[in-house]
Amino acid sequence: MIRERLKRLNPRWVALLSFLAVIGPGIIAASAGNDSGGISTYSVAGARYGYAMLWMMLAMTPSFVIVQEMAGRMGAVTGKGFAALIREKYGVRPTLLAMILLLASNAATTVAEFAGIAAALELFGVTKYVSVPVAAVVVWLLVVRGSYRNVEKVLLLLSAVFVSYIVATFMARPDWGTVARAMVTPQIVPTQAFIALAIGLTGTTIAPWMQFLVQSNIVEKGTTIKKWALAKWDVIIGAISANVVAIFIIITTGTVLFPRHIAVTSAKEAALALAPLAGHYATLLFALGLLSASVLSAAVLPLTASYAICEAFGWEAGVDRSWSEAPAFNALYTFVIFLAAAIILLPAVNLISVMLVSQVVNGMMLPFLLIFMIRIINDRRIMGDHVNGRVLNVVAWATIVVVISLTVLLLGMSFLGIG
Amino acid sequence: MFYLTRMLGRPVTDSAGQPIGTIKDLAIATGEVFPRVTSLALVGPDKTPFMLSWRKFVDAYDEAGAHLNTKALDLRFSYQQPDEVLLARDLLNKQIVDTQGMKVVRVNDLKLSESRNQLRLLGAEVGTRGILRGIWPPLEGAANAIGSVFGRPLKENLIAWNYMELLDRDLGNVKLSVSHRRLHELHPADIADVLEQLSPSQRALVFQHLDDDQVADTISEMEDEIQAQVVDDLTDERASDILEIMDPDDAADIIGDLPYDKAEALLRLMGVREARQVRKLLGYREKTAGGIMTPEITTVSEDMTAQEVIDQLRSRAAEAENIYYVYVVGARRILEGVVSLRDLVVSPPETTVTDITERDVFSVGPDDDQEQVAEMMSKYDLLAIPVIDEAGRILGIVTVDDALEVMEQESAEDLRLATGSAPRRALEATGVAAWLAQSMNWLAVWAVLGIAAALVVRIFSEHAAIFAVIALFVPLVVRVGEDVADHELGILIENETTMPGFWRRLLGNTLVGLALGVLSGLIALAVLEALAEPLALSLALAGALALTTAIVTAATAIYPALVRKRGGEGWRASSAVVTTLTSLAAVTLYLALSMLFARVAGA
Repeated sequence: MIRERLKRLNPRWVALLSFLAVIGPGIIAASAGNDSGGISTYSVAGARYGYAMLWMMLAMTPSFVIVQEMAGRMGAVTGKGFAALIREKYGVRPTLLAMILLLASNAATTVAEFAGIAAALELFGVTKYVSVPVAAVVVWLLVVRGSYRNVEKVLLLLSAVFVSYIVATFMARPDWGTVARAMVTPQIVPTQAFIALAIGLTGTTIAPWMQFLVQSNIVEKGTTIKKWALAKWDVIIGAISANVVAIFIIITTGTVLFPRHIAVTSAKEAALALAPLAGHYATLLFALGLLSASVLSAAVLPLTASYAICEAFGWEAGVDRSWSEAPAFNALYTFVIFLAAAIILLPAVNLISVMLVSQVVNGMMLPFLLIFMIRIINDRRIMGDHVNGRVLNVVAWATIVVVISLTVLLLGMSFLGIG
Repeated sequence: MFYLTRMLGRPVTDSAGQPIGTIKDLAIATGEVFPRVTSLALVGPDKTPFMLSWRKFVDAYDEAGAHLNTKALDLRFSYQQPDEVLLARDLLNKQIVDTQGMKVVRVNDLKLSESRNQLRLLGAEVGTRGILRGIWPPLEGAANAIGSVFGRPLKENLIAWNYMELLDRDLGNVKLSVSHRRLHELHPADIADVLEQLSPSQRALVFQHLDDDQVADTISEMEDEIQAQVVDDLTDERASDILEIMDPDDAADIIGDLPYDKAEALLRLMGVREARQVRKLLGYREKTAGGIMTPEITTVSEDMTAQEVIDQLRSRAAEAENIYYVYVVGARRILEGVVSLRDLVVSPPETTVTDITERDVFSVGPDDDQEQVAEMMSKYDLLAIPVIDEAGRILGIVTVDDALEVMEQESAEDLRLATGSAPRRALEATGVAAWLAQSMNWLAVWAVLGIAAALVVRIFSEHAAIFAVIALFVPLVVRVGEDVADHELGILIENETTMPGFWRRLLGNTLVGLALGVLSGLIALAVLEALAEPLALSLALAGALALTTAIVTAATAIYPALVRKRGGEGWRASSAVVTTLTSLAAVTLYLALSMLFARVAGA
């Protein structure tokens, strides 16, 4: 019945919806790492390899859920942020390492967000030499002026176009049998590009900064271990739904673009490639979505890093603190925002490769932070009876081992010139 | 001078020069201002930990390690005493409260010094030098040298032991010197400042060491946004005890901010009298005299003598918030006048109240705006002002501390109106789920809008490219809608009584709207020109934007009427709805107008 009705729908309408599918869920799930880099990575994965990477998303979901749950549980038990726990257990030097890694990955991702902003506004014909400096000032003012909350509403408005995303996947009518088979059949294409994309996929799905964000959120809300039994379902369901959305992006580009051999390297190109199918307005709507996801993340990422670093070293922090009260905090996010914007303005920079590189950087630093996390969460002096069970430890260690092997494989391949 | 970070991990040798382990920690005697080191904690080979008495066994020590005066076999191990604090375990890298500077800081290093053959703790290093030393000691020297060149050598930031309050280790059963300044000995306003820097679970730990009176005073001193959260985190029993102690107006403020279930549970646990007072206060609207008054007043009748009144005050002094004025009431608590404490004291004891009553009393009604009340008190230098109902019965008083708070709040709000930015607050990190829950209502609205927009696109699909340009200004229209609605509601809140009539306001709003419209139209025109859109389209969109702004601004003149029809009571709760609806209406109007104009202009 429904199928009959769908068939009678205007093809343009169907095209619009499948387009909506490609631009993805935007900032609604951006808090789960589906920011501009995420949308790009998922679109590219589907367009380039069809359903071949779907099984990875399925396999990654338990890891993702467990990592988020562990971060949340640490916050609920200790009432402290991740950075503070690293400092208290390991002292200054390992903390310095962790914070440098976090700063690097956040800065790289912020660069990617500005690349997203530049790409989006280029679709409107605005050159990056105008859009990026303006965006940097706007993002910086957002944080300094504290009107961040108001802007969040407007950005949410822009992301509303993505709501019909999952419906759209159904309308693109993928062969669900093939999709299901691809989900459970591990495939690996032995090329450097595939491995790099796999690491990028991991890095954008289990983005390291999200663990800091989730844990500090739990701490700020004052969730205690008693309330955790209920609160953890919030974290778990959020993590799962973020991954479901990512899976649907891959299915859509895998269904629409892959069979036609339309090679794309970014969400922007994916949108442009879809324009003949979905109409020209698609490109412009897409640009708005990408823009809002990027602006929001460009504000959140530097903040997360600044909070964590100040917490680790005992410096005063908070957006309501002035430069004289919290110089380090203010200097850090200002530095990250403007450094990221400056990198994008270098004439030779390839925006698309910046996005992918940032995801790979995230993927590579993930194991280090996970090792800190798994050792802290198994420390009875810190966690009491709430240490990990055996199953959780096995899955967490398996994640670490897999990500490290992928990284080593990638490095080895590029050294040997394979792929 | 010795630094803990440079001592940890150094080898320990016995009298024969044989290595027996490495330094793991130092224990201090806590009862002194500069505590002496009492024991040495080591890790032997095989990672076995053990402790030795510092006084008995340690012969010499320097940066390279410690040397014992006894052979390994003759050593006698000791155990950690309950009142010993371990420097590395309990202090290094941990957060402490600096009870002198009222700040929460992290310990980067501990500085020790030798005096009269004893190693003593000088203090905790909380500055940058400690961090640099912890990373790599030469770094500290280098940074200091560079700083000196510029005339600003790195300063040490030391906190002495008697100004340290530990957050992770309970010092309750540890002997401390009399001069040791504990967090709970500070003034409640200072405790509140420190607590605002801590996370909720750290706050809960501090509260365990405060008695109920202190907690009540401390919570009253905290920022409004944190108060409800703090009370929500306490157990119901303790929270209700504390709310009972607080002034009823403060308690009502906090309870009013709690979720309904929690508020009801607490009110049921409170004493009958206190709960009744709070419930009565909750009935008044926020930001009115009724909302900030306290019902605890001292009333006397006219036939009492000065001495009787003073006796009554003495017996009730503990409960009453303000005793500088005594209110004289007649039958059914009708306010007759006021007697000042000064007159009571200087009059002969047998004087009757009638003779010293001041009958010309400033008073306010329960629905009067709190800002007016505060202004009145400041103008006439009043320590308290009575709140009376239409029949002249006294309901309570507004005291000067509440009035001061109002002035502070209102000036912050005026600032926001003037600058257009919200009061700055720490950004709450947003988790996936929390974010979704918060934004669910917006999501629903925008989902509907999104579908509507998609339909519009479909209907005007031949104009799809134009639609994308039109969409550029939708956020601006949303803001305009929110702003004009906020503005009108703001005027309503502040000057409800002095507002001009509908027609005058309609005229005024229309003029303002036209000016705003012209301005936004010009901006739109400039933007579209910069984007090199065709002139016809630019003019059409600028016109639509200008007209939308003008119409919406003019239309807000009807809001007071709408709001008043709903009965005055509770309308403020729906201001968010009014704002949202205004924005939606503005967007719809703008979309329709721009489509129309674009078609007319042939773009």
